[in-house]
Amino acid sequence: MPQNFTLNVNGAARTVDAEPGSPLLYLLRDNLGLHGPKFGCGLGECGACTVVMNGNAIRSCVTPVSAVGDARITTLEGLGSIDNPHPLQKAFIEEQAAQCGYCINGMVMSAKALLDRTPHPSRDDIKLALDGNLCRCGTHMRILRAIERAAQQGA
Amino acid sequence: MSGQEMEFASAGLGRRDFLHASGGLVIAFSLFGAADATLAETADAATRSLAPPPAGRLYAWLAVHPDNTATLFTGKVETGTGVATALAQIAAEELDFPLDRLDVVMGTTSETVDQGPSYGSRTIRYAGPQIRHAAAAGREALLGLAAAHFQVSANQLATGDGAISVTGKPDRTITYGRLVDGNRLNIEIGASGERFAMQVAPNVRTKDPSTYRIVGRPVRRKDIPGKMTGQFTYVQDVHVPGMLHGRVVRPYGVGATLVSVDETGLKDIPGFVRVVRRDNFLGVVAETEWGAIQAAAKLGSTLDPSGPDAGQAKWSDWEGLPEMERIWETVRKTAGRNSTVASQGSVETALSSAGRTLKATYQTPFQMHGSIGPSCAIADVQGDRATFWSGTQMPHQTRHDMAKLLGIPLEKTELRWFEASGGYGRNGLDHAVADAAVMSQAVGRPVRVQWMRWDEHGWEPKGPPIVQDLLGALDKNGRVIAWRHHMWVPTTGDTHLIAAELIGKPDVTGATGLGRPAVTYAYTFANADVAGHGEGRVGLLTAWLRSPAQFETTFAMESFIDELAAAAGQDALQFRLAHLEDPRAIGVLKAAAEKYGWESRPIGTGRPDGSGKAARGRGIAWVNRDDVRVATIADVTVDRSNGAIKVGRVVVAHDCGLVVNPDGLRNQVEGNVIQSLSRTLHEEVAFDRAHVTSRDWMGYPILHFTEIPDSIDVVLVNSGPEYPAYGAGEPATCPTAAVIGNAVFDAIGARLRQTPFRPERVKAAINT
Repeated sequence: MPQNFTLNVNGAARTVDAEPGSPLLYLLRDNLGLHGPKFGCGLGECGACTVVMNGNAIRSCVTPVSAVGDARITTLEGLGSIDNPHPLQKAFIEEQAAQCGYCINGMVMSAKALLDRTPHPSRDDIKLALDGNLCRCGTHMRILRAIERAAQQGA
Repeated sequence: MSGQEMEFASAGLGRRDFLHASGGLVIAFSLFGAADATLAETADAATRSLAPPPAGRLYAWLAVHPDNTATLFTGKVETGTGVATALAQIAAEELDFPLDRLDVVMGTTSETVDQGPSYGSRTIRYAGPQIRHAAAAGREALLGLAAAHFQVSANQLATGDGAISVTGKPDRTITYGRLVDGNRLNIEIGASGERFAMQVAPNVRTKDPSTYRIVGRPVRRKDIPGKMTGQFTYVQDVHVPGMLHGRVVRPYGVGATLVSVDETGLKDIPGFVRVVRRDNFLGVVAETEWGAIQAAAKLGSTLDPSGPDAGQAKWSDWEGLPEMERIWETVRKTAGRNSTVASQGSVETALSSAGRTLKATYQTPFQMHGSIGPSCAIADVQGDRATFWSGTQMPHQTRHDMAKLLGIPLEKTELRWFEASGGYGRNGLDHAVADAAVMSQAVGRPVRVQWMRWDEHGWEPKGPPIVQDLLGALDKNGRVIAWRHHMWVPTTGDTHLIAAELIGKPDVTGATGLGRPAVTYAYTFANADVAGHGEGRVGLLTAWLRSPAQFETTFAMESFIDELAAAAGQDALQFRLAHLEDPRAIGVLKAAAEKYGWESRPIGTGRPDGSGKAARGRGIAWVNRDDVRVATIADVTVDRSNGAIKVGRVVVAHDCGLVVNPDGLRNQVEGNVIQSLSRTLHEEVAFDRAHVTSRDWMGYPILHFTEIPDSIDVVLVNSGPEYPAYGAGEPATCPTAAVIGNAVFDAIGARLRQTPFRPERVKAAINT
């Protein structure tokens, strides 16, 4: 049966009424109106739903809300906005690193967790960190360049 | 609303005011995140016209707002290729208007002209001139208004950056916004014909391309900032007040019938509303997504259903699909229609004097679009009136289809378009609209249908399997004297709707179509016989998949050329050039070779001694795809021990005529290369006799980051000002499989004639 969960999302306490088994993704999107994280597979295979939880890039589509507790959750919206983008978002815009852009949430959030852990990754480090994030438009070269640019600028 | 509209709104601009002033529908939206498609004014919603605006009126294309911003309206849609920005460049150029103050509204059927679907690399090519002419007519109309305003003749006026001045008198300047003063541009500009063939404002004078300042300049795409920050509204993000969440429960077997539905336990799922059952169509609706997912799972919608009666919905035991391993035999045997691409001289006569004759068969499998976001749509069917929210690539066509499907009047039907995850042809988007329509009609409330991953993998229309026989003959000097290329191609344009088939009205809309020999024969062989056998549906539902069938035919044509070149002991580039007269083909081949640093040598002679574990090779191929020429060169390393192929450097030379946004074009070319590389190395839809078994990314792997090429260099070739803009959405896909196959042969001497080039297949080729 649904119950109240208080989540720590983008620095604010947000209460949602949800079934304990409901994946975090649907609560972020439908209850909290955060559309950065996307439904891609519901199986943890593509990375479109990625959010950063306590510093780790996790798949919100297979993370039940009951497992979240008071963990700090950051979504794409929590990084920055069109008017005030995070340096990582700015780097992606400067490299024009999107086509349809549906996967980009996962790319940016996985890169955020990587750069927080490894501020100056090699190209292979980036590829490995993003290997579980699928992009169908084939924007990979630009995504790599964007993350390298962000790293150079100390994002 | 789109991200562009949100940017528009965030700048305090007046599209809403404009629509309000024109008596149009007001869609209320808040700035960030929320995507409530609320009808703020429902009073006139029931009576306003839902017909597309008349193409011969300027307001159908352009609106100028009091704050001197403007809106371009187009029936074309964005599928991730950047056409929204490129079309805006074309309009801004002719209008003499700042690009960053020009918003684009796409696809919504009551606000845009039907310019035909956004497919086939045809948007810039066909809609570009329509918009160019409309914008030029707009500039002319504004000059007329300014002439009256300043009481001078129009030839004393100059336009620039959204304003008009009296020549030589800069103090006498007025912005477009002030001139139009909030009025609708209700001016006749003339239009004839329909869709791709429509001529808009045919008599207006457009600019000389040599004077372009906005077209041809690399500009940042308008949609990207919103996509980077979560502020862009995809169709998946749209929320309609009162909507329910729907999920489909597809038959276990593609052609199975629904035997029974046991609803035990469904009402215990929080938020569950009801089952929707209509003939073989089955779905569930709930107040929450999770409720709908759980209910659908109980009925049998799961990743790995074990059989037709594994869930609480029981299906008949249907096993009517052809056998996967013998699909090409099935394709060969399927009845169809023959057509000829080229018939020159006599292949048979030439064979009798040939020095050497080669034969080969090429096979390619079912492949899928594989959009990262599964298809999604919302329908609100209220009696004989319906509204749809969809990311379809063909909004106007889908509006017609939905009216037919539901049996409601077209004039009471509207489709509001929002961008979806990349489409690459025709994925499940049109089918999700139909699913939502059936469910909303059943429950009388708006229903949002989101396909699950296995619905998309399992039921999106596929690209068809194709089999091709080639025969070529060389004379004693190593020139090709005979060429035969026969292909068997199932339809790539089956527009039947899955929901219509399931509710027992398969032919209410759509057609099966026939496959066509999608090849541009361009060599100059004296004796040539190029022909196709076009077929209808073979096994699975099939539709356009990026460069329909031409990815496959280019694989065969350009691999077999390589076979002949290798047999003649010649260089791959020189051999092609020796058999070509098309200057633009020669142009891209030479441009790619120059960028790459191609040194002439016989194929297969670049490898050291063949004893090492890793062997390196290079490959080349080209295509003429609807007037675009593309040549691609790639380096590969093949691991002999396990058959793995690693792609190193890729060079592409691309000639699509006039380029609108060079950076957007490069992005497209890079994307085509990577996606087609994925199709070359990995992709094959698996199926058993009942259904598709590639139901997720494990069952249908695509290219991962660790497998991408080391680099992709793109050379943009322009053969001269006489060439207009052709489409660039697909052509760079075509050469890739041949390039990689040719490079593998160059490396290890094994010829790959079947995609995908998975390691076990490469190893098998090494051993034969």
